[in-house]
Amino acid sequence: MSTLTRPRTPAGRTTNKAARNGRSAQVTRLMPTWLIAVLTTLLCILVLVPIAYIFLASLNTDTGVASGEFWPSQFSLDSYSKIWGSVGLGKGIINSLVVAGSVAVVSAVIAVGTAYVLVRFTFVGRLTVLRGLLGLQSIPGTLMLLPVFVLFASIGAWLGITIIGTLWGLFIAYLTFALPFSTWVMVTYLRGLPRELEEAARIDGASNLGILFRIIVPLSWPGIVVSGIFAFLLGWNDVLFASIFTKPDTATAAIVLQVFSASQEGGAIPVYSQMMAAALVCAAPVVILYFIFQRYLVGGLTAGGVK
Amino acid sequence: MSSEIAGDTLRDELSRPAGQQKAPHGKKRKGVTERDRPLWLLAPGGILITVIILIPLVLAVYMSVIDLDQYTLRKWLATPFIGIENFVEAITKTDLLRSIWISVSFAVISTVVTVPLGVAAAVVTQNPYRGRAVVRAVFLIPYVLPSFVVATVWRTMLQPDGIVNGVLHNVGIDPGLWLNGPLSYWTLVFVEIWAAWPFVYLLALAGLQSVDHEVHEAAAIDGALWWRKLREVIFPYLKGPVSLAFLLGTLNHINNFTLPFVLFGAPAPADVNVLPILVYVTSFQSFRFGLSAAMAVVSLILIAIPLFIYLRAVKLDVSDDGGKK
Amino acid sequence: MEITRRNFIAGVGGVGALSLALAACGGSPKSSGSGTGKVDGTGKTLTVLVSTKPQYPDEQKAWFAQTAADFKTLTGAGIQWETYPTANDEMTRIQTSVVSGTGPDVYGLGTTFTPTAYSTGAFVKLGDAEWNQVGGKDKFVPATLGISGPDANNQIGIPFVSRPFVMAYNTELLKAAGIEKPATTWDEFADHGKKMTKAGQYGLAIAYKDNFDPWKFIWGMSIQGGNPIIDGKKVRIDDPTVLAAYEAYFGWMTKDKSVDPAAVGWGNAQALAAFAAGKAGYFPMTSPLSIPTLDKSAVKGKYKYALLPMVPPGQTARPSGGVAAASILSGDNLVVADYSPNKDLAFAFIKMITDTAAQANYYKIFGEIPTNVEAAKALQSDPLVAPALDAASKSVATPFSGAWGDVQLALTNVAVQTIPDLSSGSVSEASLAGRLKDAQSKAQAALDRAK
Repeated sequence: MSTLTRPRTPAGRTTNKAARNGRSAQVTRLMPTWLIAVLTTLLCILVLVPIAYIFLASLNTDTGVASGEFWPSQFSLDSYSKIWGSVGLGKGIINSLVVAGSVAVVSAVIAVGTAYVLVRFTFVGRLTVLRGLLGLQSIPGTLMLLPVFVLFASIGAWLGITIIGTLWGLFIAYLTFALPFSTWVMVTYLRGLPRELEEAARIDGASNLGILFRIIVPLSWPGIVVSGIFAFLLGWNDVLFASIFTKPDTATAAIVLQVFSASQEGGAIPVYSQMMAAALVCAAPVVILYFIFQRYLVGGLTAGGVK
Repeated sequence: MSSEIAGDTLRDELSRPAGQQKAPHGKKRKGVTERDRPLWLLAPGGILITVIILIPLVLAVYMSVIDLDQYTLRKWLATPFIGIENFVEAITKTDLLRSIWISVSFAVISTVVTVPLGVAAAVVTQNPYRGRAVVRAVFLIPYVLPSFVVATVWRTMLQPDGIVNGVLHNVGIDPGLWLNGPLSYWTLVFVEIWAAWPFVYLLALAGLQSVDHEVHEAAAIDGALWWRKLREVIFPYLKGPVSLAFLLGTLNHINNFTLPFVLFGAPAPADVNVLPILVYVTSFQSFRFGLSAAMAVVSLILIAIPLFIYLRAVKLDVSDDGGKK
Repeated sequence: MEITRRNFIAGVGGVGALSLALAACGGSPKSSGSGTGKVDGTGKTLTVLVSTKPQYPDEQKAWFAQTAADFKTLTGAGIQWETYPTANDEMTRIQTSVVSGTGPDVYGLGTTFTPTAYSTGAFVKLGDAEWNQVGGKDKFVPATLGISGPDANNQIGIPFVSRPFVMAYNTELLKAAGIEKPATTWDEFADHGKKMTKAGQYGLAIAYKDNFDPWKFIWGMSIQGGNPIIDGKKVRIDDPTVLAAYEAYFGWMTKDKSVDPAAVGWGNAQALAAFAAGKAGYFPMTSPLSIPTLDKSAVKGKYKYALLPMVPPGQTARPSGGVAAASILSGDNLVVADYSPNKDLAFAFIKMITDTAAQANYYKIFGEIPTNVEAAKALQSDPLVAPALDAASKSVATPFSGAWGDVQLALTNVAVQTIPDLSSGSVSEASLAGRLKDAQSKAQAALDRAK
């Protein structure tokens, strides 16, 4: 990609190891500090105002939320204890973590291998595969719901096993839906990696797998983590497929959450405040996981892989 | 359309399992790419996608050419074949084309706004400072909340007597209805942007990590202004990820069902009768499953055309710097 | 009564178990009428899909456990409970199950969805044998059987609970406005609305944005004027009764100004919240299920239920041909899937939960009105719920047609698309007529497809 090589080539030549010591922080600075501060503040406000609303609503009464109050007229922490009741939120969160977590790991593994082949080797139909993967992303989920269900039911009946209602069925479905995208994330990332190391390793006699695991994977952590995050969130947020592919004891967090928003015609007010509390509780593990994994988002290159 | 393409995929993989036989007419490149190509690495993904996406897709296309509704659902294999009747009805007698237009325009506008937002967020969290980890985590939150929670929250805030109108009223603005009428379209755009920009942010963040440290040093020595450095040195590295984000972001917006459904309900107000809602109402309130499958197929084709034009324009699919180096 | 229920919720594990044990006895083979003998389901599992009850999570869990235990005692079979949160999920579940021929054995269905379920042909038609298995038709309140099938010989739905629509009114606001008793005609209703509207309070709480409420008003007023909307092979949305109904319905806001302007954005929950805050006199289209919300609110002890008006707008008496419809026939029906290998068990289960004691118990826990004659009779002494029971017996079934879903959709769509006009303060007859024409043609097309 010419656009990618352009900055690198002249840059590499003119460096001359002349970078002054102690300036490295400024060297990598992309923006003036004041602008960073302004933009960060604006973005945080954009995110946090509705989050504050969710938080306040979780402390409010259901009637208060329904009537559009921002500041609760009476505060209560009840919702946070009620949500653990019999709805099974804890079980739901665990199910979601198991399914989405496995999807993240497995899809990242498959995606790295697939992208490696697609980026570094030529073969007939390579472009077709790349374009086809993107084409798959445009298929609406509502179109696929019924056929996938029929397929799972038929395979299950044919093999004499239960697929629908198990976490395995959900795992396989999400894994497949995540693959085109995860693969593309890895494709774009791998393209940015220089080839010199791989070629050097190949001359030293390394095999394809050796190159993949010793060179590509260590350099690709940011890409792998991001593709894993996307795959994880696909499984975490889905309601459409989970609503028919799960049973009460395999329900995911999103499905359990949905119960809180349920209402009956002519019935009582939905339990809005519990729904808000549960939404925050459900978001917490993901944000914490991200907090832990984001240190891998520091680039493999800037971390000193290529020098 | 995608089924044909994917059909090729399948053939490519199956004809060369485990990479033993080389394609006799493979393009000639450097020797290294010809030797021991580990094409078997494509097999796991290929098999999964074939079974879980392509076969059901064929079923879905079949549904679109049969007269499938509540009366025939139970014996759907014996449902009469009616050819293109569903397609004719979808195009001539329903709001399909208008819905596609609403969906596509809404999706493109949302993407055009989310891309700079996401890139800006990635850039401002690139340099370490105290508390950066917290900011990075905060930026992820909108993407972590389930769509129906996001939609419920905004719906409540945008009620005629909700907090948003309350605040605006105090500063002397009375915008009127957010959730129906002409403004509803912009409500949808805004809420979608709020929920989706972290998607671009994550992709851009990964892209930024592939910037070589030496590049920063060189730019520093050239004494480039920060915005010139960003534009001329850093952004080229983001071209791949951002082009991808643009494409996939747009497709995700088009296919988002939950957000408009919870915000506006079904039947939706005419201004936000987006494609997924139309397909949903046709399927689950009118029970015309064949017709709704035809609608989805039509939209798939109509969306695939600009998709491939875009692919060519940005050369997202053909670029391979590795080969040139 | 209300106190009784409170106690009951607290003691669901104890008293509930007792009364369910009674229910189980009632369902045992020695009870008359069944004649099929004991169903042996040892080692089998019956899958039952019902709606979730987010207001009563613990109570529902306890009820599931207790009912499953009772069923085990009765038949030896276990129960696998499944729940759906919204009507959408319910429909998706039914669709996928019907197509694949696998899924729950017993479904709890909303009544208005029964015609659609019937048209799929995927549920067991109830002959004499099946009715006997559930304890005979006689044990149900006759009106509740009105939407079990297109006619008495082709029924699939067994009534489980009744959810008639009534209106709630604020006794203090009515009194302050000098209104002695709740309105019985829609004109009177509008008039009372105007009387009760003053600073800080509105006469009526109407959920204009709700996706279910609007069509119920329109259908109710139309049938009271003699138009059932689906009349044989013809849809009659273009009938003057329908136009009059919409005009009255929108007029409460545009002409009378007796509805909060914010109501253009209200769903049923927001309207209920406004009524619960004491800011509205009448809240039509609710049911006794709103009791838990209202008893926790500012109007606790100051509200009552009454029948919805039964004389169409613009009239002082029901015209000839008009039907005395207090509510749509609403509630849940139980249906048994045709693909089920456990049909006998399914009917034994349905018999068990529709018997008198079980129904009384279910009411005490969840506030759902029984369809069982004896259990319903026992509630008539409760003044709060009596109007709802009255409404249940005066409910009229919506037309039993596979096209009903589309009619409902078309009627709702007219209301949805009129919201911007409503918000701007006037609904012109021309634009309304245009929307009705569109609704008429779409609904007629759906009816023409009906088989």
